[in-house]
Amino acid sequence: MSMISNPLLETKNVGKTFGGVIALKDVSFSVSEGEILGLIGPNGAGKTTLFHVIAGKEQPTSGTIEFRGRGITALRPDQRCHLGVARTFQIPQPFSQMTVFENVMVALHFGAGVHARSLEDEATDILSRVGLNRWASEESVSLPLGARKKLELARALATRPTLLLLDEVMGGLRPNEITEIMETIRQVRASGVTIIMIEHVMRAVMGLADRIIVLHHGELIAEGSPAEITRNEAVIEAYLGGSAHVSA
Amino acid sequence: MTTPENQKPLNNLFILIALAVVFCLVPLVTQEAYFLHICILALLFGALASSWNLINGYAGIFTFGHQAFFGLGAYGSALMSMRLGLSPWLTMWAAGLMSAALGLVISLPVLRIRSIPHIAIVTLAFAEIVRIVCSNLTDFTRGELGLWGIPPFTSFLLPLVGDVTFDAAHKVAYFYVVILLWLLIVGATYWILRSRFGFGLRAIRDSQIAAESLGVHLTRYKTLVFGFSSFLAGILGAFYAHYVLILTPSSALGIDIMIQIVAMTLIGGIGRLLGPTIGAFILTLGLEWLRGFGEYRMLIYGVLLVLIVMFLPKGLASMRLGFLRRQTTGKIPT
Repeated sequence: MSMISNPLLETKNVGKTFGGVIALKDVSFSVSEGEILGLIGPNGAGKTTLFHVIAGKEQPTSGTIEFRGRGITALRPDQRCHLGVARTFQIPQPFSQMTVFENVMVALHFGAGVHARSLEDEATDILSRVGLNRWASEESVSLPLGARKKLELARALATRPTLLLLDEVMGGLRPNEITEIMETIRQVRASGVTIIMIEHVMRAVMGLADRIIVLHHGELIAEGSPAEITRNEAVIEAYLGGSAHVSA
Repeated sequence: MTTPENQKPLNNLFILIALAVVFCLVPLVTQEAYFLHICILALLFGALASSWNLINGYAGIFTFGHQAFFGLGAYGSALMSMRLGLSPWLTMWAAGLMSAALGLVISLPVLRIRSIPHIAIVTLAFAEIVRIVCSNLTDFTRGELGLWGIPPFTSFLLPLVGDVTFDAAHKVAYFYVVILLWLLIVGATYWILRSRFGFGLRAIRDSQIAAESLGVHLTRYKTLVFGFSSFLAGILGAFYAHYVLILTPSSALGIDIMIQIVAMTLIGGIGRLLGPTIGAFILTLGLEWLRGFGEYRMLIYGVLLVLIVMFLPKGLASMRLGFLRRQTTGKIPT
């Protein structure tokens, strides 16, 4: 487990209810600069809701969120983006009538970045980093799922984030593509970006994360290194339904 | 659309300039008043539909009350020039600013709504309020009796050309003014599309949640485009007032105007630079041409509209692209 001396992001007792449904309950955790934090849990555990709350799409019902020691709970999503919080969407949200290239241009125009080079050059660069260059001039509505996921990643990277929230970017990718994206994520982290990733592909999350937190019924039930999490009884019970074959 | 918008429209700019040149040459061929009148209306509506295309086709906000800003510009400029004795050349811009101000005010509540049908109905209701107020403020606007005695544009002396006269018999001068307005509006749209502002608008149209997560301030961009679009509609309304010289609430503020705008934009191609202009010419000239069919005119017109919308849902402006696409993908077996 890495040091928590210098938290980049800290959620304090975050709760979220939709009507009578409790989506998040008393969620407190922090991420250190440079860390890759895995966020796992069964379907419906509240993982995406937690991302919505961190990125500002949803307001928490209770609790606060601090980014670099500053309260950001009241900020809009675009303001959080300008501070360096970027996210991808589990269900890709491409700008469907725009080309892949233009999608990335939007993020370059409006993100947190200060640009030394032309935006066009940067867009080309980012597209090749995620392996999308051959799709650059396609209208994004025509992309297959795998490419849409990569476009989510490309756009988020183009905002020049400090903290990157990845919501199942591996879902729907082929094994060799997963290996490629894992390598991309390692490079992103090496460039100084802190990452929180929701992931169902165990090979990816176990291989990349320094630390994992587990959400179940909206509550954090475990935290630890990948090795610790695979041995945790509560996690095995809740998340794996008793089956111990974690490191597939 | 296989080429990024910021690279491709060089063709569009070329077509835009070429069209403007062709329009400018028309009076050298014919100065027949009736023909010029039809062309003036087509360009006026082409420009008006283009100003709506900006907010609907590019920012994806389906407003149904654009006639309010057109009518406010018309009445505003007419009344200012009549009561204050100011030149229509000045009141036209003042009227545009009035429409923009009203647009900004109304945008604040409207743009918080994300549901398309609700935005449409709220903006329509707002426009109807403006129309009803206008028809009841009889001391000010003369209501349904109509506002007449509106001064035409002030004539002036243009070096090299000579006297530029604006009256019912001299439609040539009006024709050139409307070409300029049309070029201003479509040119501004072209420029906006290539700018950061344009990227923001199109992002909002395609996915609001993605746009805001990537740093686009939704309210700011939607308000700006709403205000700008209203400004353009107001200027066009002012031109209309000083051209037809008589206004009634239904002619300047009626829902018919909005229906025309929608039909022209859909037929020409929504979210396409020249779509609304193409649609405006087809509908304006087409309706005139169909006069020969007497009572069957509206029937044929309706059938044509349905056919175009059914078989060319992206509008006539998409035809060339459709043809190209078929050629390039033709090699791939399906």
